[in-house]
Amino acid sequence: MPNSENINPTPRKRHPVTPKGLKWSLGTSLLIVIVLYILSVYQTTAFPNRVVDGFPIIFNFVVDDLWPPNWSYFDRVAMSLLETWNMALFSSTFAALIALPMSFLAASNINRNAYFYQFIRNFLNLLRTIPEIILAVLFVAVVGIGAVSGILALTVFSIGILAKLISETVEAVDPGPLEAIRASGGNVFQVISFGVMPQILPQYASYSLYVLEINVKASVVLGFVGAGGIGLILNQQLSLFNYDNVSTIIIVLFLTITIIDLISNRLRGRLE
Amino acid sequence: MIEFKNVSLKYPNGHQGLKNINLKINDGEFVVIVGMSGAGKSSLIRSINRMVTPTEGKILVDDQDIITFNEKKLRKLRTEVGMIFQSYNLVKRMSVLRNVLAGRLGHTGTIRSMLGLFPQKDIQFALDNLDRVSIHEKAYTRADQLSGGQQQRVSIARVLTQQPKVILADEPVASLDPPTSHKVMKDLKRVSREDNLTTIVNLHFIDMAQEYADRIIGLRDGEVVFDGPIDQVTEKTFEEIYGRPIKEDDLLGGDDD
Amino acid sequence: MNEKPIVSLRQARTNKSKFYLYTIVFILSAIYIIGLFTTPFSVSGSAASPLDTLRRIFIVPLTDMEYIVQFPVYIGYMIETVAIAYAGVTVATILAVPVAFLAARNVTKRYSYVGKALLNAIRAVPELIFAIIFVAAVGIGPYAGVLAISINSIGMLGKLYAEVIESIDQSNVDAIKASGGNRIQAMWYGVLPQVLPEFSSYSIYRFEIDVRASTVLGIVGAGGIGAPLILATYQRSWEDVGMILIVVVVFVSLIDLISGKIRKRLV
Repeated sequence: MPNSENINPTPRKRHPVTPKGLKWSLGTSLLIVIVLYILSVYQTTAFPNRVVDGFPIIFNFVVDDLWPPNWSYFDRVAMSLLETWNMALFSSTFAALIALPMSFLAASNINRNAYFYQFIRNFLNLLRTIPEIILAVLFVAVVGIGAVSGILALTVFSIGILAKLISETVEAVDPGPLEAIRASGGNVFQVISFGVMPQILPQYASYSLYVLEINVKASVVLGFVGAGGIGLILNQQLSLFNYDNVSTIIIVLFLTITIIDLISNRLRGRLE
Repeated sequence: MIEFKNVSLKYPNGHQGLKNINLKINDGEFVVIVGMSGAGKSSLIRSINRMVTPTEGKILVDDQDIITFNEKKLRKLRTEVGMIFQSYNLVKRMSVLRNVLAGRLGHTGTIRSMLGLFPQKDIQFALDNLDRVSIHEKAYTRADQLSGGQQQRVSIARVLTQQPKVILADEPVASLDPPTSHKVMKDLKRVSREDNLTTIVNLHFIDMAQEYADRIIGLRDGEVVFDGPIDQVTEKTFEEIYGRPIKEDDLLGGDDD
Repeated sequence: MNEKPIVSLRQARTNKSKFYLYTIVFILSAIYIIGLFTTPFSVSGSAASPLDTLRRIFIVPLTDMEYIVQFPVYIGYMIETVAIAYAGVTVATILAVPVAFLAARNVTKRYSYVGKALLNAIRAVPELIFAIIFVAAVGIGPYAGVLAISINSIGMLGKLYAEVIESIDQSNVDAIKASGGNRIQAMWYGVLPQVLPEFSSYSIYRFEIDVRASTVLGIVGAGGIGAPLILATYQRSWEDVGMILIVVVVFVSLIDLISGKIRKRLV
């Protein structure tokens, strides 16, 4: 703003627009962010110019390599895809059933025992720090190769997410009805089924569908460590460098996930 | 009979809710508790079904000290002492009938109630009680589609379905407009007369208290400063309870009929 | 006393609602029945006893000196993993802003669906697929991982940013325009102060997700701790799996803790 300097050419005392302390903390934060970025860039060799060069690759891949896919491979893909879907379906179902009681234990307005509540919270937090691939490796190690390990891994993985989301909903319910049921002599189960459940049912259904979406995507990874599903054939075809088969898998996967997301979003939109 | 013997209540944050309360409330009485907000009306009423627990003294309900009650006895007590709340406390997404049946929970097994398998006579009883507060035709409507006055009448029906001996009402009309307030209070008074229920109501409008009470208890700073039958109460009494002259705000007005 | 009719808890169903109910029940049971018949529920088990395997994963790495001394190796891999996530999310934060304005209803009006469709398409691709494509194009290494993470994060950040932009208070912008400010000034003083805290909060949240996502990328050669993980899995070297698990859990917990604190201060 050059004009303001003309109006007041010799300011006696500078009045900063931003107070000094705030300026300092903002400046320091920005500096930390930038320094960490520079360190990360050197560690990963992802320099900005290389990133700019890198992104058109996706475009070129879609235009040059993805088409034409090998349609004769479609049957095999469909089989694996069904397995992936089933794994996601069963794991989401189990997770929805197990996460519900856990989320009541992880809600401070139901579980009045502070220590037990904190224990369950910490347990769920711990569960959510384990990436799905490590869970899959663990279950493959114990149960062996196959869809069952995948289902178990995804179940544990989604319990962490689902129980957290539901317990937050439970903690946000209108406390009035719970008080009324307690006042009329209802026990904790009756408080839950009459006071809490009717209030959280739409969100419960919505979050379960959301977890189903996540599980379909997550189950792609599992096949790489032998836990079944479409990742298995993806890994095979990649190591054989059969890129036309890989592109068939990618196209089919993309369409399936898009359709599932679309349906699930519609259903969730109607639930709320 | 409900009896308070030297009851005091100090909250964990240091606030003194009740100070050395001594009271005797006889069966079938319709008692109104008045006082400014923060005078301890809510603490007093909620001590009777142990929604809050006094830190000193005894509360005898039918000669049993309820302060010593364990979880199981407490639930039994609460089935016999019904409660009506300022904000109705209905489950908004549930039908009126189910909300009324929530009053039967203390009498119904856990599994049965979770599956919604209420005995037919309970359902019939719930409908009869809705009839008594004249919103029978709304039984299958969702609770959130009712007006405030209708919701409060549903909660009266819920309390009746509990078949209590005592009704506690904590500011039952504070969220309602004057004409609706009078309708709700009339309903409450009528059903408690018909069933001969001991009823204890918190109100902060003095004209309402005078119109419906058999007996008035005045509280100030957690202490009983007045206790007497309605015919002894004058405007002067209220000025003593409130510790200041009566203002326009202390009157609800608006009873047209 | 006259007999009263039986009352139900529910109002009688109309034909239409009956039809809907039966259709839903039919579809759901069909989905589950197909699932039950097409999933191989057989459990092959492994040659080693499960208890011994669990001991090798959870106990040996923490008690045997031979393994404890190897922790720095995996910590190094984990630092690379975090670096991939950080570089990726920083690039994504910068690139998501223009895409988000493109996808915001109150900015591009009826053309916003173009940006929204683009973001939806990105989110329908699992990050592993992006990693596969980039590894095939630019070769093995963390550089491919950064590209995969950033494009994948743009999908989510763009959507969240667009929602923030759609919810801004227009009156601030109008006030600046009314006092003679131009479009850029309106953006700088009217829009940015409103959206910046939420943008940063979402980016930090996405960073948490990306740290987890980056642990996976190594299995297709896109850098990070996934590479030694898949190797250890193929070699049935459960002690190494255990060490990797511990390192990942500790790092992810610490990062969640710190970023949660920062996000709380931001909003």
